[in-house]
Amino acid sequence: MAIDQTSARAGRTLLVLGILAFVGLVISFALPKPAERLYPERIPVRFWHMWTAEWKAVVDDIADRFNKSQDKYEVIALSIPPSGGETKFVLAVAGGDPPDVMAQWNPVIPSWVDSGLLQPLDEMMPPAQWRQLHSDMYPIARKIGMYKDHLYGVTVGLDLWACYYRPDDLRAAGVPDDRLPPTLEELFALGARLDRFDDHKNLTHLGFLPEGYLHTTPLFGNGFYDWESGKLTIYTPDNLRALQTLADAYQRLGFDNVSRFQAGIDQSSFSAGWPFISGHYSICVDGQWRVEQLAQYAPNLQYKTAPLPAPTGGRPLASFAGGNFMIIPKGARCPAGAWEFVKFWSGIENPERAAELYTKGGWLPLMPAITNAPAYQAYLKKYPQFKTFVDMLPSENIQTTPPVPYTIYLTDRVSVCGDLAMRGLQTCEEALRGLEKEIAQEQARRKEFGYAD
Amino acid sequence: MPTEALATAPVEPLHAPERRPARLRPSVGGTPTLSRTQKLITHAVLLLLCVPFVLPLVWMLCTSLKPETDIYSEKQPANAVQYLISMLPAHARWQNYPEALQTVPFATYLQNTLFLCICNVLFAVLSSAVVAYGFARINFKGREAWFMLMISTMALPDQVTMIPVFGFFRKLGLYGTFMPLILPALFGNAFFIFLLRQFFRTIPDELTEAARIDGATEWGIFWQIMLPLAKPALATCALFQFLSTWNDFFGPLLYINDPNRYTLAYGLQQFMSSYGGKWALLMAGACIFTIPIIILFFFAQKTFIQGISTTGSKA
Amino acid sequence: MKRHLVGYAFISPWLIGFAVFTAVPFVISIYLSFTRYNVVTEPVWVGAVNYRTLLAHDPLFWKAMGITLKYAAIAVPLGIFTGVALALLLNLEIRGIAIYRTIFYLPSIVPVVATSVVFLWILNPQIGLVNGILRSVDIIGPNWLGSEDWAFTSLVLMGLWGVGGSMIIYLAGLKDIPYTLYEAAMIDGANAWHRMRHITLPMLTPVIFFNLVMGVISAFQYFTQAYVIMDATSGPNDSTLFYALHLFNRAWRYLDMGYASAMAWILFVLVMTVTLTIFRSHRRWVHYGN
Repeated sequence: MAIDQTSARAGRTLLVLGILAFVGLVISFALPKPAERLYPERIPVRFWHMWTAEWKAVVDDIADRFNKSQDKYEVIALSIPPSGGETKFVLAVAGGDPPDVMAQWNPVIPSWVDSGLLQPLDEMMPPAQWRQLHSDMYPIARKIGMYKDHLYGVTVGLDLWACYYRPDDLRAAGVPDDRLPPTLEELFALGARLDRFDDHKNLTHLGFLPEGYLHTTPLFGNGFYDWESGKLTIYTPDNLRALQTLADAYQRLGFDNVSRFQAGIDQSSFSAGWPFISGHYSICVDGQWRVEQLAQYAPNLQYKTAPLPAPTGGRPLASFAGGNFMIIPKGARCPAGAWEFVKFWSGIENPERAAELYTKGGWLPLMPAITNAPAYQAYLKKYPQFKTFVDMLPSENIQTTPPVPYTIYLTDRVSVCGDLAMRGLQTCEEALRGLEKEIAQEQARRKEFGYAD
Repeated sequence: MPTEALATAPVEPLHAPERRPARLRPSVGGTPTLSRTQKLITHAVLLLLCVPFVLPLVWMLCTSLKPETDIYSEKQPANAVQYLISMLPAHARWQNYPEALQTVPFATYLQNTLFLCICNVLFAVLSSAVVAYGFARINFKGREAWFMLMISTMALPDQVTMIPVFGFFRKLGLYGTFMPLILPALFGNAFFIFLLRQFFRTIPDELTEAARIDGATEWGIFWQIMLPLAKPALATCALFQFLSTWNDFFGPLLYINDPNRYTLAYGLQQFMSSYGGKWALLMAGACIFTIPIIILFFFAQKTFIQGISTTGSKA
Repeated sequence: MKRHLVGYAFISPWLIGFAVFTAVPFVISIYLSFTRYNVVTEPVWVGAVNYRTLLAHDPLFWKAMGITLKYAAIAVPLGIFTGVALALLLNLEIRGIAIYRTIFYLPSIVPVVATSVVFLWILNPQIGLVNGILRSVDIIGPNWLGSEDWAFTSLVLMGLWGVGGSMIIYLAGLKDIPYTLYEAAMIDGANAWHRMRHITLPMLTPVIFFNLVMGVISAFQYFTQAYVIMDATSGPNDSTLFYALHLFNRAWRYLDMGYASAMAWILFVLVMTVTLTIFRSHRRWVHYGN
């Protein structure tokens, strides 16, 4: 009878489901698990960051050092992937179960402060200490970490971008003294000489391409914000020129050609998986942390670093700065422990001890006291190429993201604008006008909402 | 409303009467038999069509066994056949699997996923069966209206309720726990209720009347008579729920906070996001995630196919 | 009387769930769509600002709407066509047909996240499978997910790969067509095309209808594939900014729950309108009866 058959079959399905679940559970229990807490008796401080692979190891080590340095708190470091990392944090704070502290590197502070997600950190220290720190910090660390006169993010590693290049490649192209040309235009010309193609005109080796739009604007002017008037500056001749330069560079090679080339090489940002190490780039723009990676994964590679040369009429020693900064969300269960950890890592109270931590990840210091600490100086002596970045730190031509409450939206749209121009889908003029319009609409919407800015 | 057509749709019991012998079954356009040439052509067409369906899976498996260096090698094969041969790993590198398991705690993810699957399957199937019984066998006032309402909720986009439901779980302090991913299952699943209701309606009244005369309660009839009879339909629902929980990405994306509570679906996406470019490891991860489902399919093939088929013919 | 109570007792789990997870949130979300709200602080009433901005001043909203409608208009019919065509082929009586059926069906049970990861890999323009095969016959394949023109197409193709699920439903529909219909037609001298046109397809319309409704409803909520494959971004030049993705970003990236609620409501109205239109039309083309 059919019923019996189907019934038996159904029984078997349920049985298989059960067995599968059981076997799975057994396997999952048998496999190794992440370690349990080392100090179960201490107050837990949950720390989120976005580093993976070998960077994760560095961060775990720092957390470990903190845990050994005192006996009250245990920092538990958890790695959250960078894409969607913001969303995860927002969800966690909104959901009422935030971490105690998070290391971020995206320009999230203004948006999140305005939404009431972050605690002001200046209120966690005595006024005298805050006054001291305020005057000690590198100006760029202030620009990154402060919003509306309060400190929300303490940088535990500033990031600057500059050129990495292979002197051998330069020599092969007829540059005798291993130095980059004095202007950006000449650098592009040199890069073009170093590009290599296969028989089908496919790019196989890249001479030089700059980083994205946001990173290119400081070379040409003030970027997207006038810090004195506190106004956004989007459609400016400088920004247009920056976009045009970038678009020209991509159009010359063909955007599609570049994108295919990059898809075909290991682009993972960790260990040896950096196209500069594998020899696919001659000159590239990247952050100072690569020095540490080069030392580990390509100790014999001959390379040099230098600030990007200014375009004609542009700005010298210009760069975009990002920061790895620590934030403490509202609703954190243990803000005191979080703050202890922030102080430990950033070196606010003990710059000498913290200097070593900065060198572990190849990060730039929060304030000169750290730069001058013996451990940091020793590091500079060991890696002279790192000095390029440290020397750039006091430069006035270093920009960061504008401190407006819709920074996340702004940076999302800036990168789309750059993308449009680089792909050649719109002229630079159109793309930048489009960006200006989008931002004006966002401002108008916020006004209708009754926000102050 | 989607209700109308679903309700007026032809209804057929799950345990459909035995079909006619295979030999007599109609083929396309009712051609009973194919000539030899026609058969050969059909085979050729089907084989060709199989290629795009099967190749991605083979490629996933092959990549998961390759060393990373082979993946980025720039050899130029001369023709398509040579290319396809070159995609086979020269030596299977099984280490990719332990490496993938070490890079991210897949074991933890597996455990969480299974925990959620078990809870969801048990809760959703049982609660749906109870509700379906009410809709199918008890004649109460407003039954049809409620049923229509239930059917129409299937068309309601989740986005509409997403934010208030999130707020609800937040108020209860359940954000970051497994509860938001389990609790809703306790209240039945509209689709399962629909399927089970159709099933219960096909069971002859005589079976239950006898029990009722013997003084059995409604619950007793449901629990002791109906539920055992409904095993095929329950198995279908269990399978569907298992798959949907196994696959669920949006739930953990929204509600899971602590990496120790990630599920496989969410963990795999996070893995991809963190280790983009490490294709061999990624594919090993994808295999770990997919293979259990394929095993499940081969053991419970009939329930799979039958469950899906009835889905359509119920409508 | 008691019978009514017992009836309600049995359906009470669903009733409670409906109230807590559907009805109340449904009403709350209407309210939220007229506020500015970021979950952390209390909502503030702002009137119809959200709707006004959405409809008049948000080009991305229209772009996302366009992409989603395009997806519904292309992927759903294409899926139905492919599903029916495959089902017709797999309904033939030849040796090994069960193996073929399994092969076509299998991709549809591969979890969505795994499918997305695998497609990201096989569609890699340089070292992926598809362009590798194309290159070996001297064709330069497109830059699939990396180009504005092809990213959308890639997602449609990925959807087609999982067509096996609906194919099985059509196959079951085909099996349910009474053989006597064909016998009668053959006696009347109808050729294969006529039998297909006048028997097979009309008899299949209820199943096609079901798949159409389900397909359209899920197309409007298309999210996971786009989110995973584009790694939480909206693709080259926003070319895969689906409505649900835009909504998700508005809610959880820009923390604008009021705006997102308004978007959800517009989506709801849209889904209802389209579904109702399909249901209106169903008497005209869906064939019930034996």
